[in-house]
Amino acid sequence: MTTGQKISGIGHLALILILLFGEWFAPGDPPEPPESVDVSMITEAEFAALTQPSAPEAATETDAPAPPEPEPAPEVSPPPTPAPTPDPPETTTPAEPDPAPAEPEPVAPPAEVVPDEPERPEPPVPDPGADVPDTTSADPTPREAPRVAPTPSPETPPVPEIAEAPQPTVSEDAVTDERAEDEPAASPEEATTEIVTEADRPAAGAPGSSPRPRPRPPQRVAEALPETPDDPAPESVPEPADEPEEDPQEDVGSAIADALAAANPDPAPQPAPAPSGPPLTRGEREGLRLAVQTCWVIDPGSPAAQVVVTVGFRMNPDGTVASDSLRQLSATGGDEQAARVAFESARRAVLRCQGAGYDLPQDKYEQWKDIEITFNPSDMRTR
Amino acid sequence: MTRLIARFLVALGLLAAALPALPALAQDNGPGPLRIEITEGVIEPLPIAVPDFIAEDGGAAAYASQIARLVAEDLTGTGLFREIPASAFISPVTSFASPVQYSDWKAINAQGLVTGSVSTASDGRLVVKFRLFDVFSEAPLGEGLQFVGTQESWRRMGHKVADVVYSRITGEGAYFDTRVVFVSETGPKNARSKRLAIMDYDGANVEYLTDAASIVLAPRFSPSGDRVLYTSYETGTPQVYVIDVNSVTRQTIATGGTGMSFSPRFSPNGQTVVFSQSSNGNTDIYALDLASGSTRRLTETPSIETAPSFSPDGNQIVFESDRSGTQQLYIMPASGGEARRISFGAGRYGTPVWSPRGDLIAFTKQNEGRFHIGVMRLDGSQERLLTASFLDESPTWSPNGRVIMFTRETQGADGAPSLYSVDISGRNLRRVPTETGASDPSWSPLLD
Repeated sequence: MTTGQKISGIGHLALILILLFGEWFAPGDPPEPPESVDVSMITEAEFAALTQPSAPEAATETDAPAPPEPEPAPEVSPPPTPAPTPDPPETTTPAEPDPAPAEPEPVAPPAEVVPDEPERPEPPVPDPGADVPDTTSADPTPREAPRVAPTPSPETPPVPEIAEAPQPTVSEDAVTDERAEDEPAASPEEATTEIVTEADRPAAGAPGSSPRPRPRPPQRVAEALPETPDDPAPESVPEPADEPEEDPQEDVGSAIADALAAANPDPAPQPAPAPSGPPLTRGEREGLRLAVQTCWVIDPGSPAAQVVVTVGFRMNPDGTVASDSLRQLSATGGDEQAARVAFESARRAVLRCQGAGYDLPQDKYEQWKDIEITFNPSDMRTR
Repeated sequence: MTRLIARFLVALGLLAAALPALPALAQDNGPGPLRIEITEGVIEPLPIAVPDFIAEDGGAAAYASQIARLVAEDLTGTGLFREIPASAFISPVTSFASPVQYSDWKAINAQGLVTGSVSTASDGRLVVKFRLFDVFSEAPLGEGLQFVGTQESWRRMGHKVADVVYSRITGEGAYFDTRVVFVSETGPKNARSKRLAIMDYDGANVEYLTDAASIVLAPRFSPSGDRVLYTSYETGTPQVYVIDVNSVTRQTIATGGTGMSFSPRFSPNGQTVVFSQSSNGNTDIYALDLASGSTRRLTETPSIETAPSFSPDGNQIVFESDRSGTQQLYIMPASGGEARRISFGAGRYGTPVWSPRGDLIAFTKQNEGRFHIGVMRLDGSQERLLTASFLDESPTWSPNGRVIMFTRETQGADGAPSLYSVDISGRNLRRVPTETGASDPSWSPLLD
């Protein structure tokens, strides 16, 4: 009798405890912070302006599935165009916008092609017209992003030029011509995200399959690009003269800072509990991820491409990396040498793409003060 | 009983009271680090800057620029590096000892920077010093090094600098200070004269080891790089010879037997030679111990077994055989015995070569009218075809197992063979410059 009650009591107790605390031990994710979306008020006009361009954007989405190789393009373009566009089929740059020219071409009457006439005397229609072509001209930029050129093109002339030609058919052809001419210079020869060997290419004829389309990267990447310190701008020449003199001072300064830090174990910034702010939005995280991955150079044939490496670092409030804090947290999948190379490659990615600082919201600094990035090349190996 | 229930209720009450406090405890740690995983990078050459080396004296002036150019050529030739032209440099390097202005090199996106100097020692030899910097980490990569050599060997010193730069950045061994032995071919297809020749890996410094009197085939370097095995038709039937690269003296390898001997290759320790011998229409693989001269038969089948190649540890041999009806690849113990078939794809597989890294087998594949050079794992998985052409054959590995050099022959009566190299990822296919037609390359180990 009592044994039965004891068993029953213990059983019930266990059940209640499980009900109460069971989920603490469940391996599930930590409760996700409530998703917050940044909302800003816009006027109706702004809304209209935002939504209108979505049509051309959708068009480029459907373009995206086209294989990255330039080969297929020539097959589309030759029939409608009589002569004036000889360049596009031959350019072999990865960021080829060939699919785009292919679309306007059928519309454009071949007879009216006037490639040598960029300037049109007609008075440009004011506001509404200028708005629309602007967005179409923005087209090529996002599409390049997946295989980002390490050296962003110094010239980005298309914007003003296209704005001058709001008129539809005829001028559009002239514009595509110019774009095609600009392209080869813009993207360097060998940047790519996957490898196509000679054996992969069919001997002749159409390709057997097409790679799956890449996701459209958010706008942020395109913004981040110009910030990369690629610009061999000669303006920065005066600076170097000063720098050697700064060195000793910096040394003294850092020595003082070190001494102070040693004397005072509690550094000043720590006590001030900055508000942590809401968690980063998905878009903000994605932006950071894409910004770093565009600088992560992988050599798929090397032993380092077998290593998954995690690096940790501290961020300065201005979005730059505190470079002395960069350290390797873990590395799996290779010997010491391979791990070292993988770490160095990851470190270069983090440092090189920061430019003047990563684009992260100031008010959420506490959320991204410390960052850990895992570089996992398993998808990149020999594909 | 009631006591039990009472106790239980009390416990329950206590727990319920404690509950709201728990989440607060959990949150006390504050937000942890922001964690991100990156699974996609870019495959592109690493931008490096190789400013001309500094000439410390007049005698070195002729070499300072040449050596820097050679280093840059070696590195960009791998397809893994891209050189930033000197016209983009912001601040010239005027002294080897002065500190590096990292900001200037960051501004032009140079991720690696090689600086160096060349001087002439009192005995007339060249002294080449260099340093390598990781620009974005603002730190040198490894110690500075110096090489000393004769003026004639300036190319070797340049290759050695490039070797060090390559392995520090990639973490792999390098292959620039190496040589390639090959068959130089001249004349039309039906009356071609063939000579054994040796050159630097990049096609420079060609020397001939034999004259054009008799046809030679399939030269193979010894593991130490000082001797070359080859097959010659000097006596009318193919016969295996070994030639000393430096003294150009040669001797016959007594393979025993009466039939044709061909397709020889050294074992990794250089003490054994495996080769094929055919007699009465049957070809099998034999091993010859160079010290004792004794020969042992490794395969005993009525089919054709040939093209043996040792694993780097010397324990196994990969070879081609048509015992299944078509030509396929097999692996057997180095002492002979049970062989395991590893190639199963469509087409015919031949001339397998074991990678110096030990993880891959390179091969020639013939399928649907095209020839391919490909690689596969030791179990035959992950077959990857790197090239495709009218005729690709005879692959050989770079000493670091990263690059494959092979023969490509063009179609037609006046078609000529030439040497090509390709990265094992399939990228960076390029022709190796040779003055004459060239075939059957064999890559030496890194020279000392």
